[in-house]
Amino acid sequence: MRPEAVAEIQRIRTRYPRSRSAVMDALRIAQAEHGGWLPPESFREVADALDVTPAYCHSIASFYDMYHLEPVGEHLVEVCTNLSCALAGAQAVLDAFASELGVHPGGTTADGGFTLRAIECAGGCGRAPVVVVDHVYHEPVRPEDVGELVGRLRGE
Amino acid sequence: MAELVSLTVDDRAVQVPAGTGLVEAAQAAGVEIPVFCYEPRLGPPVGACRMCLVEIEGIPKLQAGCTLTVQEGMVIRTAATSEKAADGQESTLEFILVNHPLDCPVCDKGGECPLQDLTFRYGPGKTRMTFPKLTFDKPIPVSPLIALDRERCILCYRCTRFSEEVSEDGLLVAVNRGARSLIATFEDEPYRSPFSGNVIELCPVGALTSTLYRFEGRPWDIQNVPTVCTGCAVGCNVSATIREGKVKRILSRNHPEIDRGWLCDKGRFTYPHLRARDRVTTPLRRGPEGLREITWDEALDAAEELMREAGTAVVTALSGSETTELAYALGRVLRSGLGAHSAVLPEATSDALDAFRLPLSAIAAAELVVVVGDDPVVERAPIVDLWIKEAARRGADVVTCSPTGDVQTQPGGGAALCGELGARGSKLGKRLRAAERAVLVWSGPGGGGGARIAELAHELGFAERPGCGAFHLPSTPNARAVAAAWSAAADADEAGPAPIRLLVVSGDEAAADPSVRALAEEAERVVVITMFHELAGGWADLVLPATASLERDGTTMNLEGRLQRLRRTVLPPCPDELAWLSKLGARFGVSLAPDSAGVYEELAERLYRDLPLEGLGLQAPLPARHGYEPPAPATTEVPAPPPATEEPFVGELRLQRYSALFSGPAVERVPELRFQRPEREVELSPADAERRGIASGDTVLVRSNGTSVELRARVSRKLVEGVARVAGEHAGELHATVEVVKAS
Amino acid sequence: MASNPLLLTAGTEDHDLTRLDEYRAVGGYDALARARALEPQAVMDEVTAATVRGRGGAGFPMGRKASLLAKDTGKPVYLVVNADESEPGAFKDRDVMRFTPHRLIEGCLITAHGIGSTSVFIYIRGEYLHEFEVMRAALEETRRAGLLGGVTIVLHRGAGAYICGEETALLESLEGSRGQPRPRPPFPPVTGLYNAPTQINNVSTIALVPKVLELGAEAFSKIGVPSAPGTAVFSLSGNVAQPGNYERPLGTTIRELIYDIGGGVAHGRELKAVIPGGSSVPVLTPDEIDTPMDYDSIQAAGSFFGSAAIIVVDDRCCMVQLALRAAQFYMHESCGKCTPCRVGTRWLVQLLTKIEDGEAARTDLELLENVCDRMLGRSLCALGDFAVYPVSSYLRKYRAEFEAHVTGAACPFAGDSSIEGIVAPIAQHAHPVPEIVGG
Repeated sequence: MRPEAVAEIQRIRTRYPRSRSAVMDALRIAQAEHGGWLPPESFREVADALDVTPAYCHSIASFYDMYHLEPVGEHLVEVCTNLSCALAGAQAVLDAFASELGVHPGGTTADGGFTLRAIECAGGCGRAPVVVVDHVYHEPVRPEDVGELVGRLRGE
Repeated sequence: MAELVSLTVDDRAVQVPAGTGLVEAAQAAGVEIPVFCYEPRLGPPVGACRMCLVEIEGIPKLQAGCTLTVQEGMVIRTAATSEKAADGQESTLEFILVNHPLDCPVCDKGGECPLQDLTFRYGPGKTRMTFPKLTFDKPIPVSPLIALDRERCILCYRCTRFSEEVSEDGLLVAVNRGARSLIATFEDEPYRSPFSGNVIELCPVGALTSTLYRFEGRPWDIQNVPTVCTGCAVGCNVSATIREGKVKRILSRNHPEIDRGWLCDKGRFTYPHLRARDRVTTPLRRGPEGLREITWDEALDAAEELMREAGTAVVTALSGSETTELAYALGRVLRSGLGAHSAVLPEATSDALDAFRLPLSAIAAAELVVVVGDDPVVERAPIVDLWIKEAARRGADVVTCSPTGDVQTQPGGGAALCGELGARGSKLGKRLRAAERAVLVWSGPGGGGGARIAELAHELGFAERPGCGAFHLPSTPNARAVAAAWSAAADADEAGPAPIRLLVVSGDEAAADPSVRALAEEAERVVVITMFHELAGGWADLVLPATASLERDGTTMNLEGRLQRLRRTVLPPCPDELAWLSKLGARFGVSLAPDSAGVYEELAERLYRDLPLEGLGLQAPLPARHGYEPPAPATTEVPAPPPATEEPFVGELRLQRYSALFSGPAVERVPELRFQRPEREVELSPADAERRGIASGDTVLVRSNGTSVELRARVSRKLVEGVARVAGEHAGELHATVEVVKAS
Repeated sequence: MASNPLLLTAGTEDHDLTRLDEYRAVGGYDALARARALEPQAVMDEVTAATVRGRGGAGFPMGRKASLLAKDTGKPVYLVVNADESEPGAFKDRDVMRFTPHRLIEGCLITAHGIGSTSVFIYIRGEYLHEFEVMRAALEETRRAGLLGGVTIVLHRGAGAYICGEETALLESLEGSRGQPRPRPPFPPVTGLYNAPTQINNVSTIALVPKVLELGAEAFSKIGVPSAPGTAVFSLSGNVAQPGNYERPLGTTIRELIYDIGGGVAHGRELKAVIPGGSSVPVLTPDEIDTPMDYDSIQAAGSFFGSAAIIVVDDRCCMVQLALRAAQFYMHESCGKCTPCRVGTRWLVQLLTKIEDGEAARTDLELLENVCDRMLGRSLCALGDFAVYPVSSYLRKYRAEFEAHVTGAACPFAGDSSIEGIVAPIAQHAHPVPEIVGG
């Protein structure tokens, strides 16, 4: 992690009466520092910054869905497949991404460009199906929108 | 006293104090509320396993009994009288068994397994689960001492709660979520905590097992013999599991005032040293071709001969780990029999702390704990560290004054600090004077056996405050009673003989002590009583085999000043010391009982008049406080440090050697404990490291005049500037001041 | 249709209420000034008199909750706002934060004054990045305008765990632990955040507070139904013609919400089922949709108000598939702490998969029912029940459809169900545990 990132963690730490409360933001910062995922050394870094153990950091990170314990692609494409989105045709959207990107849900493209995931309810049920790309909501997305969306991300 | 609350459990009326938990209240009524996750020693209940579901009148849903406390008029029904509760408990067991393998016949826990027992009592008769169970690689080594079987794990979180909330090491954790949850260490690194073995005892199933005990015995093959651990001066109560005359396992045996059922890994896992490859089982005598085995008759002849030759010019080096009886018997033979009164002990002892006596458990209730001295508490008296941690969790202010403490001192600076704390101007001293429940702890060398901290306690007026107390953490398990027994054995002043005609070395710690070795250089002849060949070879003229604490009957006095009973858990592979000392004594006109009960009877006349052996029982009581008397000079000499040489080269850093918990002759003989031993490293303060361009992980040379040791550097944010901290076993011959440079 | 007073969304029709000046233009922060002129107890008396029931799901009156706060403990009192909206079908809090962040902040400040707190934590679900940024900007404006009055508001971001919407799990998460619920008692008003007395309320509850002060308890109580005054933001989703958030008085019927407001079932299909309060509540059949949406009425009909998230299901959907997908969600989100939920949620998924695949026997339906019974009411928190309600209620009300899977040894929709083949996250874990969903 860059020293600026460590300093940011220390700054966040002061918001809370107990420094452990800063672990979620600290892991988020570490994840951004490591290209979108949390390699083992990132837990050592966060542990060092917060005076906790790497085991504790791993324990926390593995509990929450938004921390990635394995490398992810440059772009993270997440398709909600929970009830409302499913009823609105989310599977066709997920299939469209899978075929456009050539990767199964849960996988990362060979070139490391994209990770495609099905996710649980993202809170966009009123404009379903919801697709979250790099943490930005796109709602609704139809199968026919997928090509253009991916093209934009590829910089075409 | 809390007021009493009336309730009924399964129609049985019972009264318990307000605030009692339902599990305990039911127990008081003679009713079992079965549990897995509930373990009050691990902190507040978590309500995870749901085994304790009970029906409470007026509440529609079943309740987790472990999470509730009694209310007046409560009507509780367990599986015995409530169909609903019975269904709840059967359901919980059905859910637990959905993934639990039915491998009881090959499981080490079988026969002493709460899950097995509760399934038998409350569980479903057959399985309705037809899907594959969760499978994992197994067993996983959590450390060289502990094996983890994740399929058997029922996720009660006892082990992780212990790691987080009791030993506070944060190394054993739960990872993932939901059905994928599992217990793990970071990156499968070994669980390296001085208390790791407790998770084995806490595990209610066969998920965490001891690698040393695995497949060694079944509950019907074994006996558990109660005794006391002598790994340090805490004196934890333990049971030794015996099968076919061999110690197979050590379990804690809860003494609520001493150990609360916790045990450190040194106490739990050192027993394989009983079967060390270099164990001495027959006497040995030095001849032209080195040491050779001799008979016991020859050995007694030889001992007598050496003693008669030496006359009174004998020095006895004691280990401080002898039983009181053994020290007394040695004293009687050497002092009354021979008039050889001189002895050395590895540390000073004192009775002064008896005026400020508290049970160790009182530490947990303290509001202020001040620890003074160079050594971390955990290295000297590990369980005391747990009591202090509990105090901190309960809101106490814990202030450590040491080279790595909250108040940083230079090594050896504890004495001066005590002076400051006793003086009127000290802020911390003021708080110590004001607190209702304050505890002082001396943890390190130079404490005068407790005299130093007793003086401070006296100065602070602790004698008049029953909630305040002071402790000294000795470096040996029984030095105080050993010194007292030696001194009670005869009525004569001792004087250091010169030259030393005979050095009698009692025990392995003395035999391994460099200062005793230095003394041997001055002695004409040396007799060593030891368990291990390696400690006798090279310097002993006569080697007499020693027994281990686990093989001895006798008494030992812990750091509270509590006398406790050791019981022989297995027969030693050689005669007991008291047996041959009785015979040897007879040759010098000394009449000694050949067994510990007999010896105790005699020594109690002189030392412990008010303490009959039967009075010690399985859980020894703590004697009352005595009046404070200003400490007399130490009753035994402290051996001089190794002779200082001329030091033209003076390093900039003071070397702080510390003696690690996982060290010593017994620990060194257990390969499974190797990972617990101190790292080959030198700790430096950030400022000292930066000045030398050293970062954590660098290989460095630690040098003093004429000697140099290669170690790995570790930058410690807590360490005071100007100090290089190295574990004794890695410090070699380094002198008091050193320089540290990066290895090229 | 009755008159439609707006409380939470008032002013959004013609103002950008993310901006402080515009919020002030519609009277924003006037209620705060009024509240601060009152004694704290007077503020809470007003909230109590208005019977503001929790909009997060449980419907517990906010004023009564505050009255349980431990007094004179020597510890700080914390206000924690639950913005970890994660219930499938619910997206009301998101819009409150997105469109009326200042109303939420004002509600926090008024409540903080009322309960004597100077420390507020808003726990925002991690996925709501945009909403977090809107809130951060609004909070910065509030700070600059000197409106905080010594109160610290910390925006704490979650990281993807449904369970953190459970209040004690939220506290654990906020303290930096795994978000696993705590046993209750002790309850948060006594032993909450950092073991201190803590008031926890949902975003939409706190955001109502300025309007309670503005209108007064009496006028507020006239909106909605006597047992539950005020409005709620109803989230319509699924097979409804015009999905979205609609603020309406409590007591509006499901029929009105679907047909008058939501434009009916999409594409004119036939209504098959309604899930009235988010995926965790028991399903209602078309003949039950005249039930008014308020806590007591909906409970009398055998379901729950939940988060007022109405999911409309049309006749193309296989109810076994729908149950399976809901079960997969709860298995994914079970925190793993207590046995019945951790094990039971997985078992439900296995049984429903077997049924959907046409491999189940009639005894498996009984087993499914019994596993539901054995989970219900026995978990540490409500998630174990939430996992059961969809399964047990679909099974009870659409039994014939479940049985058709058994007798026909296949899904009767033969591949034509509207959610056929839906992939759930539990099927694609990147860090696998072998055979996690063995089947």
